[in-house]
Amino acid sequence: MANIKQTPIRESFAKRYRARFGHLPWFKRYECLIPLSIIILLIGFLLLPPLGKPTPLQWLWIGVFLILLILWVVGILTDIEKPRWIRAIAAISFVFVLGFFFYRYSGAQWDKLTTNFFNLSVMEGLWGDLGQGLLMTLKVALVSMCISLVLGLVIAILRSLNNPILNVFLIIYIDFFRAIPLIVLVVFVFYALPFLGIELDPYISAVVAVSLSYAAYVAEVIRAGIESIYRGQVEASRALGLSSMQTMRLVILPQAVRVVIPPTTGLMVGLLKDTALTTIIGLPELLYKGIQNTIWQSNPTPLVAAAVLYIIVLLPLTRFSGYLETRSKKWVKTAR
Amino acid sequence: MGEDRALMIEVINLHKYFKDHHVLKGLNQKVYKSEVVAMIGPSGAGKSTFLRCLNRLEEPSLGKILIEGTDITATRTDINKVRTEIGMVFQSFNLFPHLTALQNIKLAPINVRRMSEKDAEERGRQLLKKVGLQEKANAYPDQLSGGQQQRVAIARALAMQPHMIFFDEPTSALDPEMIREVLDVMDNLAKEGMTMLVVSHEIGFIREAATRILVLADGCIIEEGTPNEVLKHPQHSRTQDFLSKIV
Repeated sequence: MANIKQTPIRESFAKRYRARFGHLPWFKRYECLIPLSIIILLIGFLLLPPLGKPTPLQWLWIGVFLILLILWVVGILTDIEKPRWIRAIAAISFVFVLGFFFYRYSGAQWDKLTTNFFNLSVMEGLWGDLGQGLLMTLKVALVSMCISLVLGLVIAILRSLNNPILNVFLIIYIDFFRAIPLIVLVVFVFYALPFLGIELDPYISAVVAVSLSYAAYVAEVIRAGIESIYRGQVEASRALGLSSMQTMRLVILPQAVRVVIPPTTGLMVGLLKDTALTTIIGLPELLYKGIQNTIWQSNPTPLVAAAVLYIIVLLPLTRFSGYLETRSKKWVKTAR
Repeated sequence: MGEDRALMIEVINLHKYFKDHHVLKGLNQKVYKSEVVAMIGPSGAGKSTFLRCLNRLEEPSLGKILIEGTDITATRTDINKVRTEIGMVFQSFNLFPHLTALQNIKLAPINVRRMSEKDAEERGRQLLKKVGLQEKANAYPDQLSGGQQQRVAIARALAMQPHMIFFDEPTSALDPEMIREVLDVMDNLAKEGMTMLVVSHEIGFIREAATRILVLADGCIIEEGTPNEVLKHPQHSRTQDFLSKIV
């Protein structure tokens, strides 16, 4: 045996190829995939119809093309041993081709879509107004975030005391505000509270409704975080003579915060989006401005612009929460 | 035996139920200063529960426990104050993962004993040196091996200058090559005259360091005596049976 190892025999290319790829099913092998790519390219460039509604024969070619393309993509993507760049090209080109086909053969009225929804000339002089709406949205969101985080933390800590009487009230609060649709709550705070002698302007109403509602969500997330900390941590802390409040402050919360930050950031993203619901009480925030300008211009482009602004503000936040998630996974010792 | 020494722990008719499960069936025990009491027995015998009742990590169902004369089962007693005099070392170390080794040790002296930051730091470093980890002061628990973590945990317990230390299977979660380093630290503590209650099956350590062995089975102390008596000439058939399985 040892002798054979020491004198390597130069195998033929075919033999080495079979040893390397022979275990793959036929549709994952290069001798199938390479001709397939050539056929797909030929059909794509020579036989596919131009923009517009295709004839039945042309539909047939489109169908054949798509079936071959799917075979090709499946053959590449289901084999994790294929080089990364090949798999990336396959995935990207597949998505690109599907999008392109939709554009080319769906018969959609692209020009009308553009003039209605992506009409930049409509937006002239409106960006400032939308910007003011965005500022109001951010103002409501930031204030509500602060209030709901503090309130939620307090509720979560009170909940962890496990006082049965206190818990009844806390659970009623949490369940009520999680169950009631926020838009109903907003309407109630603004239109119904005046009859109880509490009159709030739209801005305060919005902050109150959003904060109360999100405090309930935050409380549940933080409570889950607190409960996820391994019981031995509490025991070790109490055995050292720390009081239950010191244990909470010095041992549990510092660890729970790291568990809780990612889902809480997610909640805050939801909060910012949900401020749009306060449109219903006439708060001049971003969605309100979008709708108003859409009506004035008889063109929904301002609404699309508002959506784009929401996305621009929220994308970094969602990415940030993803970053925090990977970071916090490192060392937190959670319940077993 | 040892009547001239101070009485550290007195347990009178201790019962513990978990729902319908009768775990401890009326234990009576006295522990004097500088005794090293080892508790052995089959799993489920109630050794850990007994230990955890003594600092009320488990609430005793019935009976009286006096720690240095204070009845800890009385509602008036400030259990946090009693716990400061009792060090506890756990099977799973239970170091605080968000704090460094030194911070783990300093936490309780600063927040419970109201010791100054500087004194606590100095004490912490001395203790780390004592357990042979002075260079690991700024390491986080997950950067330490199991044996190192357990030694930090012992240092953390010692930082409160307790009058007694409970060890709840301190080496059971460790790889074999790390058991020795932890036992050495415990050995030294025993030699310094620390009162220790140890739940452990490290027969070598028990033979060396223990002054007394309690054999528990089914919630009762079935046998008691010096290591020599119990390990060499076990009287009770269950003790003989148990020892034949672990030695």
